[in-house]
Amino acid sequence: MKKNRYFPMSLIAVAILSGCSSTPGPQNASLTEAHSSYNSARSNPDVTNLAAVELKEAGDTLSKADNAFSKGQGAATVDHLAYIANQQVGIAQETAKRKTAELAVTDASAKRTEVRLEARTAEADAAKRQVAIVQKTADKQAADLAAASANAEHDQIRLEAITAEADMAELQVAIAQETADKQAAALAAASSKAERDQALIAQQEMQLRELNAKKTDRGLVITLGDVLFSTNKAQLESGGTRNVRKLADFLKQYPQHKVLVEGYTDSTGSNSLNQELSDRRAYAVRTALIDMGISSDRVTTRGYGEEFPVASNDTAASRQLNRRVEIILSDDNGNIAPR
Amino acid sequence: MMKKLYHLKSYPMHRIGVTVAVAIFMAGCASTPTIPAPTEQMAVSRAAVNNASSAGGNEFAPLQLKSAMEKMDAAERAMGEKNYVRARELAEQAQVDAKLAEAAARSAKAQKAADALQEDNRVLRKELDRKAQ
Repeated sequence: MKKNRYFPMSLIAVAILSGCSSTPGPQNASLTEAHSSYNSARSNPDVTNLAAVELKEAGDTLSKADNAFSKGQGAATVDHLAYIANQQVGIAQETAKRKTAELAVTDASAKRTEVRLEARTAEADAAKRQVAIVQKTADKQAADLAAASANAEHDQIRLEAITAEADMAELQVAIAQETADKQAAALAAASSKAERDQALIAQQEMQLRELNAKKTDRGLVITLGDVLFSTNKAQLESGGTRNVRKLADFLKQYPQHKVLVEGYTDSTGSNSLNQELSDRRAYAVRTALIDMGISSDRVTTRGYGEEFPVASNDTAASRQLNRRVEIILSDDNGNIAPR
Repeated sequence: MMKKLYHLKSYPMHRIGVTVAVAIFMAGCASTPTIPAPTEQMAVSRAAVNNASSAGGNEFAPLQLKSAMEKMDAAERAMGEKNYVRARELAEQAQVDAKLAEAAARSAKAQKAADALQEDNRVLRKELDRKAQ
């Protein structure tokens, strides 16, 4: 009995407890639904934090609905209030969602600013790097340019030096060439002079041979024989004239030579006559030479009479040898060794 | 009760008060027809529907807005029938429906804006990362 007496009290306690735990009872479906959505919304921190006012409105309406229900007001009223509470929960949830999204917008804007800043920073860095690269490139180019310039200068100097050397070498070559040319010319001149001299000597020798010139201690002596003169006459015969002409030609060719014309006789006749004859004959030759264009100062004469015979005077033939005119050819300086 | 009424008769002031009380009581008993027309609530609800409509409810919360409009129409009809209790209820429901539509539209728009910004940020970040490479 004791147990039975307490049982209703336990039921009441349970009822009170269950009443405290928000859901009053499963009697009204719409009220139950409203509670369910309200509890769901209340367990969402976004809703409790961001839509506290809206959630409170929903809670108030829900309390009214509960109140109406517990006071046994009509189902229509409870349904109506439950509906409104339910919608208000929805409003609270949407409000929370909106505010979350708005926060996200603010956050995104901040992030955008941040990203933009980063972009700017990156751009600035990139620009700096670019500038650095450009600077580096420019520096390198400047250095290259300087090096190239220095090289060019060096090359220029070297070129100048080489050019100068080349000029010098050319000059030396030219000088050497000139010297060589001069030497060659001199050599050629000498050679040709030597040849000419040789030729002249040869010609001279030939001419002298034609003149029957003989080499003696006194130099070259040309002897014009007696036959070239008439007996006791100082007149040159035609043959003698021919010989004298040859001599004149020779003397014209070699103007450095002078001649001494010496006249000789045999021992026939008086000394004075012979002396005179020898003088005249020598003089005749001189006259002939002067007539042929030889300058008078190049020709001197001397008569020796019957002195210095070349034969014995015993026979007619030997006497004829003694009757002669000898022409002494001077050396190149015009000197004649006297007898 | 009769005794009390009788007692009050002798005092005209009291009689008037009692008459008023009785009238109020009678009105309370008659319930529906006697409550005033919920013109204020109607106006508030209409404004809420308009706000929801201009907030983009048509696009973002069409069902809720439609419900609000229908309830508003029903409330107007109830008003016409002088069923003020029903009109008030419908108007109140239309108001919360409209408010919910507006809240949903606003949250959807905000979400859209947030998504767009986040996408922008993502693109910008991607571009930046590509540039940085």
